[in-house]
Amino acid sequence: MLKCKALSKKFEHILFDNLDIFLEPGEILAIIGPSGCGKTTLLRCICGLEELDSGYIELNGEEITNLKVEERGIGMIFQKPVLYPHLSVSGNLALASKNKHSEALTEVGLSGFEERSVHKLSGGEGQRVALARALLANPKVLLLDEPFSALDNKLSLKLISDVRKLLKKRNCPSILVTHNYKEAELFSDRIIDISLIEN
Amino acid sequence: MKNIGSFIAVFLYSGLIFIPLFLALNRLIMVTGFYPSIWFNSLENNYISQDILQFTLFQAIFSTIVTLMIGIPIAWMLGRYRWPLESLIRTVLTLPFVIPSIIAAMGILTIIGPHGINIRADEDTWWWTLIIAHAWFNMALVIRFCEPILTTLDPSLEEQLRLLPNGQTRISRFRYLWAPLLVPSITAAACMTFVFSFTSFALVRWITVGNESLESMMATISSSAGIEGYMEFTSEMVLGASIIQFLILLISLWITSIIQRNRKSKIPQVNTKFVKTKNSMGWLIIVPALIFALLPIISVFLGSFRIREPVENEIIFRWSFDAWVVAWRGSNSFPPLTDALINSIGYAIITLCVSLPIGFSLASTISKLEENHKFLSQVLDVFTMLPFALSAAMVGLGVLLGIIKLDIGFLHNFWPLPALAHIMLTVPFVVRIFLPAIRSLDPMYDENAKVLGLKPWKRFFSVKLPLLKSSLIISTIFTLAMSLGEFGASFVVARNSDWVTLPLLIDSWRSKPMKDPFTGPASNVVATVLMLITIILFLFAERYRTNKEGGMF
Repeated sequence: MLKCKALSKKFEHILFDNLDIFLEPGEILAIIGPSGCGKTTLLRCICGLEELDSGYIELNGEEITNLKVEERGIGMIFQKPVLYPHLSVSGNLALASKNKHSEALTEVGLSGFEERSVHKLSGGEGQRVALARALLANPKVLLLDEPFSALDNKLSLKLISDVRKLLKKRNCPSILVTHNYKEAELFSDRIIDISLIEN
Repeated sequence: MKNIGSFIAVFLYSGLIFIPLFLALNRLIMVTGFYPSIWFNSLENNYISQDILQFTLFQAIFSTIVTLMIGIPIAWMLGRYRWPLESLIRTVLTLPFVIPSIIAAMGILTIIGPHGINIRADEDTWWWTLIIAHAWFNMALVIRFCEPILTTLDPSLEEQLRLLPNGQTRISRFRYLWAPLLVPSITAAACMTFVFSFTSFALVRWITVGNESLESMMATISSSAGIEGYMEFTSEMVLGASIIQFLILLISLWITSIIQRNRKSKIPQVNTKFVKTKNSMGWLIIVPALIFALLPIISVFLGSFRIREPVENEIIFRWSFDAWVVAWRGSNSFPPLTDALINSIGYAIITLCVSLPIGFSLASTISKLEENHKFLSQVLDVFTMLPFALSAAMVGLGVLLGIIKLDIGFLHNFWPLPALAHIMLTVPFVVRIFLPAIRSLDPMYDENAKVLGLKPWKRFFSVKLPLLKSSLIISTIFTLAMSLGEFGASFVVARNSDWVTLPLLIDSWRSKPMKDPFTGPASNVVATVLMLITIILFLFAERYRTNKEGGMF
């Protein structure tokens, strides 16, 4: 279970102030809001890539607010798939785990892609590889930063459905941020509109 | 703890670069007293250095003009038109820049010397030969600065101009589009050519007869400088020459740096090259350029097999491997080629092992500081560029006067010492190679590796280093090549015959009286070995070069 209490962050203006977020085991939460409202920054603060101005984060009963990114056990998928160009698909997966590459790729519908060069992947395939890699690391929570927004409508609908099934199968709690309400509705169990929260 | 690597790199760099120079300056001032007017007077009035500044400046200015006249048409032809075997042509034309200057000197000397076309005896001829030799050496700079812009400029800019009243002729398009775009690159190339010509040592030493530049004069008198009560005028001259040279180089590099900074991101480029057309008339430029680039290289190679033989009153030449055997075995005066090769490789490896980590750490530190401490990053950036304003002879003098003379007994026998001069000269280049690559590295790669749970060392070796592979390889090769071919500083520092490197051996062989038939050929043998190593390294580096903005690397 993820508990975020009284999270605050401002750059030139306040992005979020005194924000609470709770995530039950296996729950998929979507956070929606217009561009620039601080959704991505919120995810970056939760996983530790940005420092919070104030607040408290607890994961499975352990406080992680001041832990390093790599020690938090939180995975993240970025808007555009971040695949290392000097490594093959399998090499990219090996950054998360040395084993079970075939199973992970089969799970995301890319069986047989192990030796493929990442340059030859389409946008959707790249995002699936990023998902497989994130799940191979066995994250306690998975954060998804608009991973479907760069894909065409048909492909994003298919991926939303596939990823949701996969996360539910693994009982992996997740937070999706998006500006697309329809995407949020299809993907998540619960939706928070960050722009409606008073700062 | 987080920034300990950065602190160590800055600390080591400061120590390596500035302690020898500070100690050298301190020693020279101790010998001469702090009277700057006397230093400059000594430089002006001593017969050794009279008119030296004038000669150094004029030859550097003329060399720059001639280099641009030769380099710009070649860059235009390469950038705008299609050629069969284009990458091979480009490689050949840019090869002279990486050939050590002592080899260039040997090649040109073989052509113009008494056993070539024999024009070295005339002062006018050697003046122009020096200018053309500098143009040969530096034309690659003009090509490397200008050609990428010509090749990658968004073609729609020219297409649009053709449809406008002011763009309907080639001349008007050149005036309104190409000239303004190329001027910064040409100026940057001109500044760098000026710097290299101003500090040229091997070419001045071997092409001119009697003329000295500031650099060659400092190298020549270095052994008697810094000794109390002994030829103190040499210390005064070294101080005067160093200060003038430092200021002139600093101004040139400052102008280059401003131009480079303003040039960046102002030119709309396309990633894919536009479709080039053929230009059959262009061969009139490309073919002579190829001959010009290859001639000194071929001369060195052929000169190593061409042995002079007096037969009765005539001199004939025969072709044989004798000079190779002589150079390989050495003589009573000179060590075998293998000894010099081992020394050179040893110094190059030491230089690499020190320069690469320090240069990389400094570049990473500058890039890190740029995020939150802009001013500090600029200070460190300038700090790492300062050694560019020090010529090889000045660096050599720093090591000689600052370090060797500290404890002449111990340090005179300290074999790795010449590598210190090589490190001082190579670190700034390593920083310049790594910095743009580190800056352009997408931070998402590191962030993603962090969320995957990778520890810092794992992130460094599995993610960062492989992504910087090109820069790593280029800086490794550049450091090795620079150290292997380094002549000016080694000439000053190497005070022990066991420290002879390949460039020093070339110089030693060539310094023998010409009555020995192996004087020229044996020096060409050593030069050929060094040249082959450099060419192999260069060809390997070319595979990894991806600079689209243009520049030295």
